[in-house]
Amino acid sequence: MAHFELICPAGTPAALRAAVDAGADAVYCGFRDATNARNFPGLNFSVREMAEGIAYAHGRGCKLFIAINTYPTAGSPGPWHQAVDQAASLGADAVILADFGLLDYAARRHPRLKLHLSVQASAANADAVTLYRDVFGVRRVVLPRVLTVPDIARLTAETGVETEVFVFGGLCPMAEGRCSLSSYATGQSPNRQGVCSPASHVRYEPRGATLVSRLGDFTINRFEDGEAAGYPTLCKGRFVARGQASYLFEEPTSLNAIALLPELKAAGVRALKIEGRQRGKAYIAAVVGAYRQALDSFDRTGRAEVPQLADVIEGRRDTTGAYTRGWR
Amino acid sequence: MSTHSHDEAAGTSRIGRPLETTVAALALRLARAVGPRLGNPVLDRLSQVFARRHPRAAEALAELPASTVLVDPVDLPSGLLLRLGPGGLRLRLCDAVDASADAVVRGRFGALLDLAAGRIDGDALFFRRDLTIAGDTALVVALRNALDGEDIDLLIEIDAAAGPIGRFGPEARRHAARLAETLGGLRSALLRPEARRLDALERRVARVESREP
Amino acid sequence: MSAPQLTLGPLLFNWPLAAWRDFYARIADEAPVDTVHLGEIVCSKRAPFFADHLPDVIERLTAAGKRVLLSTPILVTTDKERAAVRDLLAMEGVAFEANDTGALLHLAGRPHAVGPYVNVYNEGTLAWLAARGATSVTLPAELPESSVRAIAAAAAPLGVAVEVQVFGRIPLAISARCYHARSHGLHKDGCQFVCGEDADGLPVDTLDGEPFLAVNGLQTLSRRYLTLAGRLDALRSLGVSRFRLSPHTVNMVEVARLFRAVLDGTLSGADADARVAERVGEAGITNGFLLDRPGADWVGTVHP
Repeated sequence: MAHFELICPAGTPAALRAAVDAGADAVYCGFRDATNARNFPGLNFSVREMAEGIAYAHGRGCKLFIAINTYPTAGSPGPWHQAVDQAASLGADAVILADFGLLDYAARRHPRLKLHLSVQASAANADAVTLYRDVFGVRRVVLPRVLTVPDIARLTAETGVETEVFVFGGLCPMAEGRCSLSSYATGQSPNRQGVCSPASHVRYEPRGATLVSRLGDFTINRFEDGEAAGYPTLCKGRFVARGQASYLFEEPTSLNAIALLPELKAAGVRALKIEGRQRGKAYIAAVVGAYRQALDSFDRTGRAEVPQLADVIEGRRDTTGAYTRGWR
Repeated sequence: MSTHSHDEAAGTSRIGRPLETTVAALALRLARAVGPRLGNPVLDRLSQVFARRHPRAAEALAELPASTVLVDPVDLPSGLLLRLGPGGLRLRLCDAVDASADAVVRGRFGALLDLAAGRIDGDALFFRRDLTIAGDTALVVALRNALDGEDIDLLIEIDAAAGPIGRFGPEARRHAARLAETLGGLRSALLRPEARRLDALERRVARVESREP
Repeated sequence: MSAPQLTLGPLLFNWPLAAWRDFYARIADEAPVDTVHLGEIVCSKRAPFFADHLPDVIERLTAAGKRVLLSTPILVTTDKERAAVRDLLAMEGVAFEANDTGALLHLAGRPHAVGPYVNVYNEGTLAWLAARGATSVTLPAELPESSVRAIAAAAAPLGVAVEVQVFGRIPLAISARCYHARSHGLHKDGCQFVCGEDADGLPVDTLDGEPFLAVNGLQTLSRRYLTLAGRLDALRSLGVSRFRLSPHTVNMVEVARLFRAVLDGTLSGADADARVAERVGEAGITNGFLLDRPGADWVGTVHP
């Protein structure tokens, strides 16, 4: 069977070079606007930088995928169409899309452009994937982080579409692309603006020795002195239900599915994806390097050796998430 | 694997990093000791060097709304105030306790330098609580992303900015020879990192500090 | 412009069977709604309790002159859940609303409704859905007025009716993980159906004690109740013709009458919103999403 393909994030040209140099098989990135789901200040690529990035990656045997995975704004689809056109003319190896209308546009305009289905489309079952395959010719689907490994195995076998799963990084406990928690608190959403719990609406307030994080008008967490902190995303916040304060949705924890490599291989998964286009190049280099080593060793031995990545992860704890049933 | 491989990833030697931290801290102390009339031109030079060497980041920072970020190294006596927005990056020394800024980044000086040079991931520092952020979080994220997109080598940046004192204009030149000597020392320390030289340099900076600016 | 219609969305919560039957009997007899959606869309574990009684309720509502639609589940992951969707869609004599892409696969080529859990964010997607047989779309809750306007403008020539939720807690997220079970220290397997304890969802507060969200099993909703009575005129002028009320334990017949009265011009929208605010009490009201603000915001003269 073919090797796993290692798909790595890049938010800046420097991070792209770090990912390529650390052994990525493919890098995914986005243009510097609302057309991609990591539309953070100071991040992402101008058209020129994208062209340079593609040249750098291709020169080293690495592919480049362009994520255009927000939902085009009603009445002004121009930027999204333009992003698809540019990706095609720059020679991107694939575009990662979520919106039906945009998939339709890309399939009609650029029949030779490879289409990957973004996790933001939340295609969580074989019927959904079949539709994208048959109607748009989607070649690969990035699966939502809500499926178990057996779910993934059945879906992969039944649809024959390449499956790509997240193995490391931030973990959405909710079905991606179907979550308005961020916009409920801030007015800005992953689907529309490409941001979740945007920094512009985050405030950290020291209250004595504790650190309070606020999102919009709401307190979403409080960290005691010395307690590991997490991203200020709403779903990783601490809330009170039934009289008890707890991480109701998800702990500040990071996905790490490396121990599941044998199971994911057996499930027929084609590509493993690392989350974190918003992370620094040091993180990219460390995580991509560790995964490259682990995958090479897995190819030789069939065993998954778990590298120590505790220093870079959220809450300094990791989880195999929904891939194992106990998570539910 | 963490710290070690971060260093390797960014291509900085294990010897280079403490040296860099020491030299940068000395530079900051020196700039403070000599006062704004002499310190500001050096900091302006540093911004110019940065803009020349890193146009992508400079442009990103210039596109931000006019704003200030206070970088507060908790283990050093003074902070650095970054002015962002139209006109580009401008640096000023300030008293971290009194300064008001739109956003504040606080941490140990070594960690802040690691962050500036992209050797360590800011999120990771934050998760470990080694970094605190107050005020306009988006500003800090924008600054972090802009810097992280560059391959920054602080030693080279400081070296380029510290240059021969003759370039600083008449007012600066009027200052004591001791200062010129100290700046020269900084530069040589960059070129030939030896503990002895650093100690001597440290003593020299201390002498400048003890003098009225 | 076609006459405005009121729709009762699918019941999102796990009510006891008797309460469920009584509720729809009362809706059939008294509520001035045109369309009623049935079907368990949140959790497949709840569905078997109601399945046998579904035909009776459909008949009762149909006999009362209501149009009945069956809504498909929001999140379908297992083969068992897929089979359940296929079985549901095989029912005869009833129309369907698709709430995930898998259901869209099966409904292609026949007239169907598209629910608010399918991402219709723009006119490109609307046109694509229309070409596959969609006759109506209920827009995602987070869309602002400007998007509603552009989509409705594109929908009119395609003969697609545009619907917007105007009352009830706003569905914000769906997960494979059950937060109701989690709040009780249980897992989804072996959940003991604790979601049945909270007929309008489990209240979730911030650490400061501020009301924030409501958990309904796998689903997370706003704590505040959406009420857009004051915006009905504006929505109609944009081309929205159907208005969705989402069922809660408040008197839904009264709620339906309030919104009907506003559509008929016999009650002001502001007065209707004020009445809603009274009924939902400390949970509060919101209209922020439509006004392109945080969804939790309320903008208006009525005090939330």
